[in-house]
Amino acid sequence: MRRNKKTSRRTFLSRTAAATAGVYAFDIIPGSVFAQPAPSDRINFGHIGIGGRGTGFLRPESGGPTKPSPNLGGFGERTLRPDRSVALCDADSTHLDKAATRVGGHPKLYKDFRLLLEDKDVDAVFIATPDHWHALMAVMACEAGKDVYVEKPACLTVEEGQAMVAAAERYGRVVQVGSQGRSQPAAYHACAYIQNGQIGTVRKVTCWHYASPAGDWTPDSTPPSALDYDMWLGPERYIPYNEKHTHRNFRWLLDFGGGQIRDRGAHIMSIAQWIMNADNQGPISIDGRGEPPHDGMYDTAVIMNVTYEFKNPDWTLVWAQPGQPSAELKAPYGAIYWGDKGHLTVTYGDGQGTDTEPQAKEYQIPSGGVHPFRSPGNGENFEDCIKSRETPVMNVAAGVRVAYLCILGNLSFALRRKFEWDPVSLRVLNDDEADRLLSRPGRGIWNL
Amino acid sequence: MNPASDKFLADIGNHDVEVRYAAWRAAGSEDPEVIAPLGKLMGADDPGVRNAATQALKTIVDSVGKQPVGEKRAAVIQQFIALTANGHPAWVRTIALRDLSLIGGDETVPAAAKLLTDADLQEEAVFCLERIPGDASIAALIAAYPHVGDSFKPRVLAAFGHRRAAQAVDLCVAAMASSNLDIAIAGMKAAGRIGIKPSGEIKLPDYKSLSDWQKTEYDDSLLRYADSVHDIHIYRAFLERPEEHLQCAAIIGLAKIHTPEAVSLISPKLKSPNRTVRITAQKALA
Repeated sequence: MRRNKKTSRRTFLSRTAAATAGVYAFDIIPGSVFAQPAPSDRINFGHIGIGGRGTGFLRPESGGPTKPSPNLGGFGERTLRPDRSVALCDADSTHLDKAATRVGGHPKLYKDFRLLLEDKDVDAVFIATPDHWHALMAVMACEAGKDVYVEKPACLTVEEGQAMVAAAERYGRVVQVGSQGRSQPAAYHACAYIQNGQIGTVRKVTCWHYASPAGDWTPDSTPPSALDYDMWLGPERYIPYNEKHTHRNFRWLLDFGGGQIRDRGAHIMSIAQWIMNADNQGPISIDGRGEPPHDGMYDTAVIMNVTYEFKNPDWTLVWAQPGQPSAELKAPYGAIYWGDKGHLTVTYGDGQGTDTEPQAKEYQIPSGGVHPFRSPGNGENFEDCIKSRETPVMNVAAGVRVAYLCILGNLSFALRRKFEWDPVSLRVLNDDEADRLLSRPGRGIWNL
Repeated sequence: MNPASDKFLADIGNHDVEVRYAAWRAAGSEDPEVIAPLGKLMGADDPGVRNAATQALKTIVDSVGKQPVGEKRAAVIQQFIALTANGHPAWVRTIALRDLSLIGGDETVPAAAKLLTDADLQEEAVFCLERIPGDASIAALIAAYPHVGDSFKPRVLAAFGHRRAAQAVDLCVAAMASSNLDIAIAGMKAAGRIGIKPSGEIKLPDYKSLSDWQKTEYDDSLLRYADSVHDIHIYRAFLERPEEHLQCAAIIGLAKIHTPEAVSLISPKLKSPNRTVRITAQKALA
């Protein structure tokens, strides 16, 4: 990459610090200590999907280094590096225009993300499209040599998750998934508190979340001229355009967004997987029950209860809509960790509202205790890892494991039956239809 | 039509949302004879009725989806195959193909294969066949390949790659020699995913003629192939490429081979001017 051709002042300082401290300087010294990095030392970002969530990752040309979004976590001790948004892409040109104005300067604008991936000026990409594009774009970005920050849930099928892990591994790319809860201070405190045994052995985690909407009956229509609807659909099965299915409304279709469990579940269960030290573990059975909307355009669960059983170590994870909220902390969603010596609540799990109880926030890890990774923020951690080539806090392998929980929960809910799961081979046991649904053939030219 | 089926269909068409809901949620216990009338109800004026009919069909599929065999499953499949036939609206045939992709077996293959040359339904037909396990679905795609238009050939080739269809590797390699670069690259992608050596000679597409993205797909396909057959010559070539990620991929691939020759190829990269390449080499040799 261009940034490695010369030794910049920043690189020199980093190397000097690394030589003396054994770590890279940008891990321990706030960016503000240094002068602005040389242009060749900046990371040039491309942004794919800039209509909603994706706007939070943009780096405006003016105003200096800023946090793109406070809900990306961190303890406030760091600011993001003054990197640049050099290329923007969206299937909807109204999004492109707004984002270009917001960024300022002269970012390159694309409606076809492959052109952005071909752009040699782009070092890394943020992918914040609807879910059905996440995996394929992440795989293709790795093939093009880009490091990737991809929004959660990482993938729509188990097969997609496997392809993402394989692509990141094949090209040695850094892939961070946007379950930023692990970078939230409250989650860190809860993780430290629980992993150091303060509530004893945890055998059960129960999540709660309010219900999904049902939707009305809005007629299908012609896509607006600004939207390349075929590109928006991409690898997903064709459905006629409907404004209540598109953009942020994709969330309420099982085939596209998967409802609350794939949205907030990918945050709340990411923290659970982290605290339970289960990034390399998977459930052995999944039992999802509930009710879809009785009428209307959407088909994701309104009421839902999914029980995941884990073995070695044995524990149970429950995703419930509405479930039983915490008595200790009021919040619309979160999780309670049930130990044999007490319990602890972590609320939200995705943003600024993430919180935990005072005893965890005040807890000091004793000498010799377990020290969970203390993320400087999901965005900052991503930037650090682009430089260090270390594994990020919400790395792709962990991210797809979380997505599998969401996918399997929805699958059991939709099929209305419990099934057994092999967390090593990643297959459903003794259920032909469920096993077929672990993959999804692409559409047209969009194939894994 | 038995009286229970009549009652069920009347409930699906009922104006009351809750009556419809109760009916489609319980559709798994209905006689498969309701499938054809449900196809008709998918064309009802009331969107709630259309939705109830579609959900009922899916519920019936799910009710027989667990076990790969069974008398009721066979009957359900036959009813869905009938819905794919000419004369039904395209959307009904589409939904039937999607539902069949979840439960269909060899008996479904001829009906789906027949639609591979139908411009309106070929995408749904290949989707259905791609998901049906076994050799018959792949054999049908191989047989249909010469007869589909050039614009659809890449989609069929993608199905071979997705299925890792060893029996299609020679066809994919032949496609790589096409003067149509979309077909040639699709053949290369599929062959790279299948990842076995073909019986004949490989003629790669002309690299210089490719678009930038096609070049990316070309490189990726070669690397996937190398990963599958542990081809050290391919990795050696990629080590000489200027692109950082291609050098990294070669290093990572060589590390998996882990022979003295592979180690000797990686070692010089410890002094690469590119920091990411150096780190990748360090990790590979650690």
